[in-house]
Amino acid sequence: MSKTRPSLRPSLQGYVLLGPALIVYLLFAVYPMIDVIRMSFSSWNGLSPQAKFVGIANYRAILTQDPVFWGALWNTLIWTSAAVIIPNLIAFGVALALNQNIPGRSGLRIVFYLPVIIASIAVATIWKWMYDPFFGLFNGLLTSWGLTGLIMDWLGDKTVALWSVFVAHVWQSVGFSMVLFLAGLQSVSTTLIEAARIDGAGRWGVFRYVTLPALVPTITVVFVLSLINSLKAFDIVYGMTGGGPAQSTQMLAMWAYTQSMQLGVFGRGAAVSVVLLLITLIVVIPYMRWMFKREDMGR
Amino acid sequence: MATVEISNLKKSYGAVAVMHGVDVPIKDGEFVILVGPSGCGKSTLLRMIAGLESVTSGEISIDGRRVNELEPKDRDIAMVFQNYALYPQMTVAQNMGFALELAGRPKAEIKAEVDKAAEILSLTQLLDRKPAQLSGGQRQRVAMGRAIVRHPKVFLFDEPLSNLDAKLRVKMRAEIKALHQRLKSTIVYVTHDQIEAMTMADKIVVMNGGRVEQIGSPLELYDHPNNLFVATFMGSPAMNILPAKVTETGISVAGLTLLPGNPDAPVGTEISYGIRPDDIVIGGEGAVPVEVQVVEPTGAETHITGLLAGIEITIVSKERLSVRPGEILMVGLASTRSHVFEKASGRRIPTEPNF
Repeated sequence: MSKTRPSLRPSLQGYVLLGPALIVYLLFAVYPMIDVIRMSFSSWNGLSPQAKFVGIANYRAILTQDPVFWGALWNTLIWTSAAVIIPNLIAFGVALALNQNIPGRSGLRIVFYLPVIIASIAVATIWKWMYDPFFGLFNGLLTSWGLTGLIMDWLGDKTVALWSVFVAHVWQSVGFSMVLFLAGLQSVSTTLIEAARIDGAGRWGVFRYVTLPALVPTITVVFVLSLINSLKAFDIVYGMTGGGPAQSTQMLAMWAYTQSMQLGVFGRGAAVSVVLLLITLIVVIPYMRWMFKREDMGR
Repeated sequence: MATVEISNLKKSYGAVAVMHGVDVPIKDGEFVILVGPSGCGKSTLLRMIAGLESVTSGEISIDGRRVNELEPKDRDIAMVFQNYALYPQMTVAQNMGFALELAGRPKAEIKAEVDKAAEILSLTQLLDRKPAQLSGGQRQRVAMGRAIVRHPKVFLFDEPLSNLDAKLRVKMRAEIKALHQRLKSTIVYVTHDQIEAMTMADKIVVMNGGRVEQIGSPLELYDHPNNLFVATFMGSPAMNILPAKVTETGISVAGLTLLPGNPDAPVGTEISYGIRPDDIVIGGEGAVPVEVQVVEPTGAETHITGLLAGIEITIVSKERLSVRPGEILMVGLASTRSHVFEKASGRRIPTEPNF
C-alpha cells in the first residue's frame, strides 16, 4: 500500500515544469537579444578581448555611409511584401481545392507539403542547379521548346536574381500555409454552410459569409507567421546567391551576418540586427495584443 | 403555407439502402413530427425535403410542385438546426434578415420583417447582440426568427431542442406550439424524443430502419399502435410486453394468469401481450405476484420495476406505495386497453376483449 505524498502546489509545479525550457530560452534567445543591443553600441572585431564603447557611431555608419544597407533594407521590404501575399494566395487556392472531395487528395496534400520538410539549404541547392545558365533545367526546357530568346542567367542577372530566389521561396513555403488553411477549412461548420444554402447563398455567398469569416483567425496567423519568416529571410538567399550579384539580393539579416562573421565588424552587424529587430517588433507587438484580446473575448 | 407530399421515397448511399420507400402525406398547416431511434432515417428524410440530400428515387412535392431537383434555396423552405447554425460574425438582426438580404429585398422591408419576428419571439432587446453573447434558448429563438422572416411554405426543424436543458426544453416546446398556432404554418419536425412528439404534433410519423412504422395522431399511436415497435416506442415508461398464448377461453399470460380476450388467432398461437405500466392495477381479482426490484417515487406517482415469473415488468401507480425491494406485490394484468401482437412479426392482432 502506497501512502499519498503531499504534492507540490500547482503554481510551484508549473514553474518546475517550465524551468528547463525557461533556462534554455533565457540563455539562447533573451540574452543574445540584449547582448546584440549592447554590441551595437560598441566596436569589436571578434578577436580582441575588449570591445570599445562608441555610442551611436555604428548606427550613423550604417545609415549614412554603408552603401549596401539601404539596398538590403529595400530588398527585405520588397521580399516581405511579396512573400506575405503571393505564396499565401497560392496556398489558399490549393487548400480550397484540396478541401474538395477529389480522388487522391491525401497524396496531393503530401506532395504540396513535401518542400516544407526539406532543409532550406537543400532547397537552395536544388534550385541553384535548376537555374544554372548552361546545364540547368529551366534554360534546358526553354531551349527544347525553341524559346531561346527567354534564356537568362537567372541568378547572375541582377535584374531577375531576387525574383528567381523568390520563386524558390514560394515553392518551399506554400505547403506550410496550405496546411494551416486546410486545418482552418476543416473547422468551418458544415451545418452553417447548409444553413447558408437554405438562406439562398450560392457558392460565392457561402464562401463570403461562412468560409471567409470562419478563416479570419487562420488568415491572421498565416499572415503574421509569413511576415516574421520573410523579415528574417536568410538561408535560402545565402545558399543561392550569397547576396549577389552586385548586392542585388542582399537582405538585412544576411547583411548583419556578413558584416559580423565575414568582415569582422561586429558592432555594425549588431546595429543592422537591431534595426531588423525593431522592424519585427513593430509588426509583432500589435499582433500579440490582438491575439490576447481575442483570447480574453473568447468564451 | 403548403402541403408536402412524399411518395415512395428511397435513398441509398452506393449499395447501401437507408430508406426503403417512404410515403408521408402532409396537409396544409399541419404540425408533423418524424420520430424514431437514431439511425431510423428521420433526419435523412428531413434533409431530403430540405434539398441537402439527394433523392435516389421517389418524389417529394411541396405545394403540388415536384422539388426533387431544386436547390434548397429554391424550395421555399426554412430550417432550424439543432446547433442553431447562426452566423457568428453577424448580429441577431443581421442573422434574421440574411435570407431577405440575399434575395435583394429593400432595407426597410427587411427591417420591418425582422422587427416583427423579433417582437413575436421577444428578441427585440437582443437585436444588436452577436450570437456568442446569447444563451442557448435565445440562440434557438434567433434561429426560429431567421426562419419566420422568410414566410416559407414549410418550416423544417431538426432536433431543435436537443441542446437545451430539460427545463428550457419544456418551455420552448410550448413556445414552438404557440408559434405554430399563431402562424398556422406547415411544420415538419424531427426528434428522437417521443414526449416531444406526443406533446407537440398534430400527426406523428414513427420511423424505424428507413421505413414508416405508423402514421397517426399522438393519441391514436398511443392507444392503437399497429405493431410492437410503435407500442414500445411511444409512451414512457415503455409498454410491458409479456409472452402469452391464445387459449379457448382467453389469453394465458406468462403461464400465470388467464385473461379474458378473443384474439383473431388460432388457439395455441404464441403471442405477445402488451400492457402499459399505468394500466396495471395493484391487487384485485386474479392478481399475479411480482418481485419488487426497484422503487422510484416521482412525487406524483410511483414507478416500480420488478420480475414477473422472471420477466421484467414496470408498474406505475398513482398511489404512494410503501413496498420495498425484495417484497412481493400482487398486480392485476387485465385491462381494456391492453394489446396483443403476433410474436414473430410484431403486428397487432385485432381482438375483442370480453369483459
